[in-house]
Amino acid sequence: MSMSNQNYSYEMIRSELTWVVGEEYVQCSDSDKLGHSIDYYWVPELWHDRGKIPTPPDFVVHPATTEQVAEVMKIANNYGIPVTPWGGGSGSQGGALPMYGGIILDMKRMNKVLEIDAVSMTATAEVGINAQHLEWAVEKAGYSTMHFPASIACATLGGFIAHRGTGVLSTKYGKMEDIIMSLEVVTPTGEIINTLPVPRHASGPDLTQMFLGSEGTLGVVTKATLKIHPIPEARKFHAFLFPTMHDAMTAGAKIMTSRLRPCVIRLYDEPETAKLIKKVLGIDKQGAYLVFGFDGPEKMVDLEMEEACKICRASEHEDLGTDMGQAWWDNRYKFFYPPYMFQLPQAFGTLDTVATFSNIEKVYWAMKNTVTENFPQAQFIGHFSHWYEWGCMLYARFIIDTPPEDPREAIALYNKIWDMAIRAAIKEGGVINEHHGVGLKLGRIMKELYGPAFKVLQDVKQVLDPNNIMNPGKMGFKGK
Amino acid sequence: MYMEKYLDVINACRFCFMCRHLSPLGNVTFKEADTPRGRALIMDRFRLDRANMNNSDYIQTIYESPLSAACRFHCVSHYDEAGLMLAGRKDIVEAGLAPEAVKTLAEELKQAQFKVEGAGKVLYYRDPYSDNADAFSGCKVISGGDTGKALEVLGFSADAEAVFKRFKQAVADSGCDTLVCSCPASYDMLKNKLDGVKVLHSSEYIEGRKGSGQVYLLESDYLKNYNNMTSAADMLIRLGYELKPFGTNREESYTAGEAAVVYDKLYPRLAEKLCERIVELADDPGKDILVTASPYTKAVLKKYAPQLKVMLLDEIAVKGV
Ligand SMILES: Cc1cc2nc3c(=O)[nH]c(=O)nc-3n(C[C@H](O)[C@H](O)[C@H](O)COP(=O)(O)OP(=O)(O)OC[C@H]3O[C@@H](n4cnc5c(N)ncnc54)[C@H](O)[C@@H]3O)c2cc1C
Ligand code: SF4
Repeated sequence: MSMSNQNYSYEMIRSELTWVVGEEYVQCSDSDKLGHSIDYYWVPELWHDRGKIPTPPDFVVHPATTEQVAEVMKIANNYGIPVTPWGGGSGSQGGALPMYGGIILDMKRMNKVLEIDAVSMTATAEVGINAQHLEWAVEKAGYSTMHFPASIACATLGGFIAHRGTGVLSTKYGKMEDIIMSLEVVTPTGEIINTLPVPRHASGPDLTQMFLGSEGTLGVVTKATLKIHPIPEARKFHAFLFPTMHDAMTAGAKIMTSRLRPCVIRLYDEPETAKLIKKVLGIDKQGAYLVFGFDGPEKMVDLEMEEACKICRASEHEDLGTDMGQAWWDNRYKFFYPPYMFQLPQAFGTLDTVATFSNIEKVYWAMKNTVTENFPQAQFIGHFSHWYEWGCMLYARFIIDTPPEDPREAIALYNKIWDMAIRAAIKEGGVINEHHGVGLKLGRIMKELYGPAFKVLQDVKQVLDPNNIMNPGKMGFKGK
Repeated sequence: MYMEKYLDVINACRFCFMCRHLSPLGNVTFKEADTPRGRALIMDRFRLDRANMNNSDYIQTIYESPLSAACRFHCVSHYDEAGLMLAGRKDIVEAGLAPEAVKTLAEELKQAQFKVEGAGKVLYYRDPYSDNADAFSGCKVISGGDTGKALEVLGFSADAEAVFKRFKQAVADSGCDTLVCSCPASYDMLKNKLDGVKVLHSSEYIEGRKGSGQVYLLESDYLKNYNNMTSAADMLIRLGYELKPFGTNREESYTAGEAAVVYDKLYPRLAEKLCERIVELADDPGKDILVTASPYTKAVLKKYAPQLKVMLLDEIAVKGV
């Protein structure tokens, strides 16, 4: 779309939006457009860095209520203007970028905690709330969301819902799809709907799960009820160093398949141990660093910890002890602050995927070999972050220190690495992504991943969004 | 350009979201532009092409920053985003591109003439927002305007220096060897620049009378985030008060723009919004006693959130709650 703001029709639409949300909540200054044209996706960052202007929205609209969201959707349908929900803009897949201009529906004004139900241990909140603000509010009431992503300070609850996000303690407390009980959603045509109040039922297919991970393409999530938890009596950590990633993986998988319930396990491959664990934690060792933690009543924590340590000690290892485990927990977010985080001029991407324990190492090697053999200028590092009873998530990264100066050339190279690495992962039983989503970055691979099943998703999109105004061109759905 | 000294900050902040939850203005306008990332992106546009400095939207955003250092305090590498804003403002002023309202206010601030009255060995600086004479009845008082700090944060560094020189001369003429101020902004400037005189914040100076009960401290940006000082909390505890944590966390800045010194004069609606957030986060807005070390914060809260019970630290020390 990207209308000229010199045009009278622009003013007509602006007036209508202003009636709905109030004058100060329809923004179109150059500052606002700049801030909303770049999210955490490397491509718009590069575009900006090279002095180019990433696609801006026409309007940035901040609704205060669900009803206002519904009204905005009706206006957008009337004029056929794209609407892209925006939470914190911290998504790494370009999901919140206004590819075709139009309206950015910035949800941050919907930031209230509406209820904390101490009997059922749930909280209900508007989803524009910053995840750290939500956690602080829940903590003040004596509980915790136990959702501790590295972007807790950056992202909104709605963004995490839209991407099926995850936190450091997901191994015990789950991802967004486990945390969320029910949702309020405004459909693309402006109807306000609620999914069922409980997440376990036999009352038809699960609508909550359909909107989880829909990345603003099927509707705008406005409220959510989520599980909350007591603050555990104890949380303890332990770290080991194994000669190889495979040895560490064997131990980690054994912990999970023994049905112990760690709140976290994290395993760094040898290159990431040498690079990041050294840089952030100062542990300068060769091998694969494995850390895990348990929380809950202290006696149970000690017992489970003892069992997990026994598993690790059964093969060749160096016991780094509790301090080196605790240090990891204390610095868990430090990895993401400059200068610890990779940044331009480097080109980098997080190739995260998930697979069963039978496949995960095959996926790792397929990705690694694809990247290092085809792109000798790229480094490949990885860790395994979120663990399940059946497998775990691979958080791999490629890094190129000096990508081409020409932005088009750099993007072409970047896309090539993604395409080849993700296809290699899919071939070995991986998927496009585990918790960052698809967005603009990986939409083109959705059809390959789903095969004929993608038509089902396309049909759902077509029915819910007949005018194709909701975040068009994302997640593999058609553009404007 | 002054901002060139801050290229590391631009590079770090322009794509970083890690402290956005503490951005006081971003938390009330909800604008991406009102976060350290949003402002660093603008400064980066200036870096990429100086012609972008002619963009009045960009300049407005740089001036609307309340200059809180909560983000810098939180940042693991303490990148100086507030410093970057100040450098940017100096460049804007030197290029003659400051907004008209800023220029007008600067003209007013330049007129400051200082006078010393009363008797005593200690000199008390009464800033333009102070209404707490009782606490310093045994002191000489210097007044007459801002010390130059306001001009400094607006980017008029040469004018700030000229005003400061007059202030310094008046202090020297007073014959006092200790200067006390309540205004954390002035304290921040004077303790670094005023040589030959011992500079204390009132929280370090006032003995105060014993009290009791629960109070909530709205931590000062300049004391906590700029100078890592705990003297305000220490004083309240010393006097016998029980400190209740305000809001949900100790990291956000609840000062309604204290660090920008004259924020409500330029941006009354934004100052009002910052006050509304304080009301929103108060446990019991009509009942809780909120204590601030900053006469500015007290004054704007009185204006925009009259339902709150706000006391200045100096006041509580003299009168009790
Ligand atoms: C430093 C850093 C560390 C990170 N670490 C993690 C991590 O540990 N775990 C993790 O899961 N992610 C992580 N991420 C990625 C990012 O934080 C998540 O993807 C998060 O879910 C994005 O939320 P947001 O509010 O910023 O959403 P945005 O980036 O604003 O939007 C993301 C997508 O959600 C859609 N959307 C936003 N709000 C709504 C809504 N209310 N209704 C419908 N659609 C909506 C948007 O249209 C877009 O498609 C990290 C990012 C950064 C910058
Ligand atoms: S101050 Fe630190 S945390 Fe904040 S944006 Fe800059 S680099 Fe990120």
